[in-house]
Amino acid sequence: MNLVYPLAHLMGGVILLCAFSMLSQRRLAAMITLYQVQALTLSAAAFWQGFAQGAGDLYLTGLITLAIKGILLPMGMRQIVQRFNMVRAVETTMPVGLSMILGVGLIGIAVLVVLPTTVSAVSLTREDLAISLSVVLLGLLVMTLRRHAIAQVIGFLSTENGLVLAATGMPGMPFVAELSVALLVLLAFLVIGVFLFRIREHFDTLDLVGIEEIERRGR
Amino acid sequence: MNLCLPAVFLPLLAAPAMGVFGTRAQGAVANLVLNVIVFGFTIAVFFGPGSGLIHADGLGMIFGVLTSFVSLMTALSNLSFVWGGNEVLSLRRWRVYHAMCQVVLGSTLLGLYADNIGLLWVAVEGATIAATLGVSLPRTASALEAAWKYFILGGVGIALALFGTMLVYLAAQPALGPGLPAMSFAALTEHASKLDGSLLTLAFVFLLFGYGTKAALVPLHGWLPDAYAEGPIPLTTALSTLMLNVALIAILRYRHLMQANFAGGGGALQPGVFLLTLGLASLLLTAFSLSRRRDARRFFGFSSVEHSGIAVFAFGIGGAAAIFGGLLHMLVHTLVKSALFQALMRGAALRGSAAPGNYGFSHLRGMVHSNKYTGWLLGACVFALTGLPPSGLFASEFIIISQTIQRDPYVSLPLGLGLVLCAVAIIRNIGPLVFGHAPPHTKHQKAGIGINLVGLQLVLAFMVAFAMPWFLLHSLSSVAAALQ
Repeated sequence: MNLVYPLAHLMGGVILLCAFSMLSQRRLAAMITLYQVQALTLSAAAFWQGFAQGAGDLYLTGLITLAIKGILLPMGMRQIVQRFNMVRAVETTMPVGLSMILGVGLIGIAVLVVLPTTVSAVSLTREDLAISLSVVLLGLLVMTLRRHAIAQVIGFLSTENGLVLAATGMPGMPFVAELSVALLVLLAFLVIGVFLFRIREHFDTLDLVGIEEIERRGR
Repeated sequence: MNLCLPAVFLPLLAAPAMGVFGTRAQGAVANLVLNVIVFGFTIAVFFGPGSGLIHADGLGMIFGVLTSFVSLMTALSNLSFVWGGNEVLSLRRWRVYHAMCQVVLGSTLLGLYADNIGLLWVAVEGATIAATLGVSLPRTASALEAAWKYFILGGVGIALALFGTMLVYLAAQPALGPGLPAMSFAALTEHASKLDGSLLTLAFVFLLFGYGTKAALVPLHGWLPDAYAEGPIPLTTALSTLMLNVALIAILRYRHLMQANFAGGGGALQPGVFLLTLGLASLLLTAFSLSRRRDARRFFGFSSVEHSGIAVFAFGIGGAAAIFGGLLHMLVHTLVKSALFQALMRGAALRGSAAPGNYGFSHLRGMVHSNKYTGWLLGACVFALTGLPPSGLFASEFIIISQTIQRDPYVSLPLGLGLVLCAVAIIRNIGPLVFGHAPPHTKHQKAGIGINLVGLQLVLAFMVAFAMPWFLLHSLSSVAAALQ
């Protein structure tokens, strides 16, 4: 029995489910865990596609995803959440039920847009593309519905997972590993940006020069 | 010989070193020297455009020279910015600042020379990160806020553009098969009519919104005025104007793919409507928001939104002449904007400091009382932005309007309305800014020799529009004909 389709679809489904559950989560810690599960599944999907397509650089993509997005980024974000005591941050602009209805609508739109336009493409790519477009749109929805900077970043990270999922599903696309590294640089800067932003709010000073001064003098 | 490679990679490779070593002054000098070398290379590219992943076509050559020229002018005026003690930054941040100037230059050139849709995307992404870091450098609350906005909006745009890029690759599968050719602009253009039309249309929507964010088209323009208003002025305004060109050129190239596919019966929609809508929205929204701005950098940031909109509008009209007009508009606008921001910087320096926050119109008013020459030049730059003759922008706007009347007469009315409203909003500021009552305790000061750079760029903008050298005319019109 050919396992390529069922397994690829199963992992795509898990990724989509994680993206969708982010809409309903109110706690940052839970969102980070969901993101971690999503990233781990994504790395498994990349390995599987690499195996199925016989493409070596997809293994590299999977490895990078596993190490940085599956382990390092969630660790960093947990640090930030704990350090600035934001575990129970609840800031949604809309009731959870309504946002989930919107999410379902977006998934419907993604499927309705992608499936008819890709009749000529390979069927694996088609469905992968529909799933990844849904993940991208859901991530953007999370970004618009949350006010919290770190929740917005998690939304963006989820969007980015959708992009990498689409890239791994493209038949023989060159530069997938390079593109995912380029995306990672952006993500790293985002997380660092949140950190700086938090520091500013935490210390309630407008200029970080003061903080650097304090650090140099050893507090 | 491929001379694009040194032009792109010299600044990119030099940037890490500049981020780690050197004093403030050494950084500024190294920045200048690198710019001179890169300027030489971009001219030499005409004789060695190369081939492969990174090579220069006609469009890349022309805008490559423009980019490195404006960057060189910025590096020159950066000397006085650095020595003037305008911005209070720690040594580490000065190093980052100069490194980011180089990264923006290198990525912009990469975006212009890349013959690969993935590489183009990487270039735009790199330039975005560098510019965002630049905006955040002063570390004030407003600067961090602007940087955050830029990052989030730019990030979303970049994500959408990547999705569109992958869809283009997928659309090319039936014609070109898996592998590198399906990502090359040259190969895609050659087989444009055989691409999957409906996928290409879907891709174009993502690309338009993705690169449209970088080109600051309404409703995706939110980051631009903030980003322009904060951060060190040479990096965040002058060099950022160059990045708009990369995004606009990306949109132009993809538009051509769509148009060729449509004309060849590939089943894609005609791209004109999308572009006309976004272009007009940018123009009209700016027309109404210009009159309410009090900060000069924010004001001229909105004016960049306007001119991006005009260029996209011209691409939407289509046809060789309108594309020519749009490209000419981009060339002239880049030169005028660069001149204007340098004049603003020198004007603000005469009034104390060129750090962000000192660019309120109330702070800058009556510039002739500080220095006559600077005041007149500043007035000339602002006037040039209105597009009234003898400004160089008059020539390009005239071409665009006459083409609009010929091809799509109904949209010429809103276009004309938007242009007039913008011109009125800009021209209202010239009087107070140049001749008005200066703030109390304003003394007459010397301007320094660098102010002549502003005049030089204005003259060049005039020449490009009204006395274009024959080789530029020839290559620009053949580029426009190929992309119609």
